[in-house]
Amino acid sequence: MSRATFLLALPAMSVLALFLIVLLSFASVSLMVVDPGGAVFHGPPTLTNYGKLLVSEGAWRAVLTTLRLSSEITVLTVLFGYPLARVLARSHSRTLRRVILFCLVATFLSGGVTRAYAWLIILGNQGLINQGLRAVGLPRAALINNEFAVIVSVLNFVLPFFVLTLFGALRTIPETLEHAARNLGASRWRSFVTVTLPLSLPGLAAATSLCFALSLGAFLFPQMLGGGRVQVLATAIYDRIQASYDVPSAAALAVLFLLLLLLMLAVVGCIRRLVAIRFAGEAT
Amino acid sequence: MRRAVIDHARSVSPAVTALGLVTLGFVLLPLPFIVLYALSRNSYALFSSQGFTLQWFQRFFENDRFMAALQNSLAVSVITTVAALIIAAPTVIVAVRHRFRGRDLMMALISAPLLVPGVITGTAALSFVAQTGVGPGFWPITVAMICFTLPLVLRPLVANLSGLDSDLEKAARNLGASPLAAFWTVTMPQLAPGLVAGGTFAFVEAMDNFSITVFLTSITTTTLPVEAYSYIRDIDDPTVAAMATLLILMSVGVVFAIEWLLGLDRFLDMS
Repeated sequence: MSRATFLLALPAMSVLALFLIVLLSFASVSLMVVDPGGAVFHGPPTLTNYGKLLVSEGAWRAVLTTLRLSSEITVLTVLFGYPLARVLARSHSRTLRRVILFCLVATFLSGGVTRAYAWLIILGNQGLINQGLRAVGLPRAALINNEFAVIVSVLNFVLPFFVLTLFGALRTIPETLEHAARNLGASRWRSFVTVTLPLSLPGLAAATSLCFALSLGAFLFPQMLGGGRVQVLATAIYDRIQASYDVPSAAALAVLFLLLLLLMLAVVGCIRRLVAIRFAGEAT
Repeated sequence: MRRAVIDHARSVSPAVTALGLVTLGFVLLPLPFIVLYALSRNSYALFSSQGFTLQWFQRFFENDRFMAALQNSLAVSVITTVAALIIAAPTVIVAVRHRFRGRDLMMALISAPLLVPGVITGTAALSFVAQTGVGPGFWPITVAMICFTLPLVLRPLVANLSGLDSDLEKAARNLGASPLAAFWTVTMPQLAPGLVAGGTFAFVEAMDNFSITVFLTSITTTTLPVEAYSYIRDIDDPTVAAMATLLILMSVGVVFAIEWLLGLDRFLDMS
């Protein structure tokens, strides 16, 4: 590495080093024990916190809830997002494409708190839907403080990321390939399933893993719309800090969360590589 | 001729178009209700017979805590954007133009702050500022945001620089320009799209971040999203909807600005 390279990379490397130091020192806190009744913690290093996590029913439930919710959200995102990405990439109406693009980027930029609050207004006990139900004499529906509200709001948040990423991949696939299949007599559906879908798989895998990672880490939406009844890993860590000031135990849970995330990323990476190998082989 | 045009126009089936529009409707659904609620006279009803009012906007601007939080958020976002761009610019040259061992590892590590869930970064930063005695507040929030937005700024810049012809810079060198002068006068102007795209991401994400900043705010220093969160929890009237409406207007303004400066297509090419 030349001196110029070193100097140019130095500022960014310092930021990165600070980030890693902060994370590692937090991981080391997970080996300490908190004094009963106080926020002070001390050594010597022990695995007590991890031992407690292993037998904690709440922690395991949070792991399972996190995995289940993010899988459900990911499946829904793919089902709802793919058609929109396809319209955005393939529609011949320039106006339609511009309108979709404009709406997606505007919502994407309008922020999480804004949209979480909007879902409170819509789904809340005094919210839009329940006001409508009351107006026609129906009983109140429990639409908030449950997994339904969390899934709807996270899905809404993740969709623009997914559609914009998939759109980037879809528009690099030559449309002429689809036209060729159609000219040879394939139906629209068949030309999609046999030509476009396989070619879009690498892009689909990238967009899907992005949206899975975003749902795994989601915090604001479970916190605001779960109302304390939906405990995912992110909210469980927050509670350990805010409610019980137990930093070492929060740190242990965070380390567990990070390991889980790395595991999921490794699995997703393997799937992506398999997809790439399989379809690259078929294309040649 | 006309038949051919119709056939092309239908390369996406009407059913898929309809499904896509349903999804778009779902994505947009929250926004109109926020605006309606912000204009509602009655703080418990979305549609009241009493007509519309701007009083919640007035309340937002008259609320000292919101104004202080707004100032903090704007200051954090501006400093973050400038700092992230200054740090990212030399890194991009290394990432695109230099060849050395460990370059791929370096680029992978740089995107780590994006992958780590905000709650973990936030709690880790809180624990760090507590242990070192710095304490939470404005500068820890700003440093955390610089760290978090750096990969977001780098990505469009890398895409931008990779697409440029390095021979232009070499031509400038042959004509006697120093390496720095050649970069500054030839390459830098061509990096404008990447800087605009990266700067937009950094500003918006720093302005909107909740999951990291919530751990680093103090009683005296809060940010807009964190203040909005505690207001919703404690009071909950349409003042927050007025704030959200202003943020929506801001993002619509940003989209128009991007379209005008770069074109949305180019903006997306780089992100």
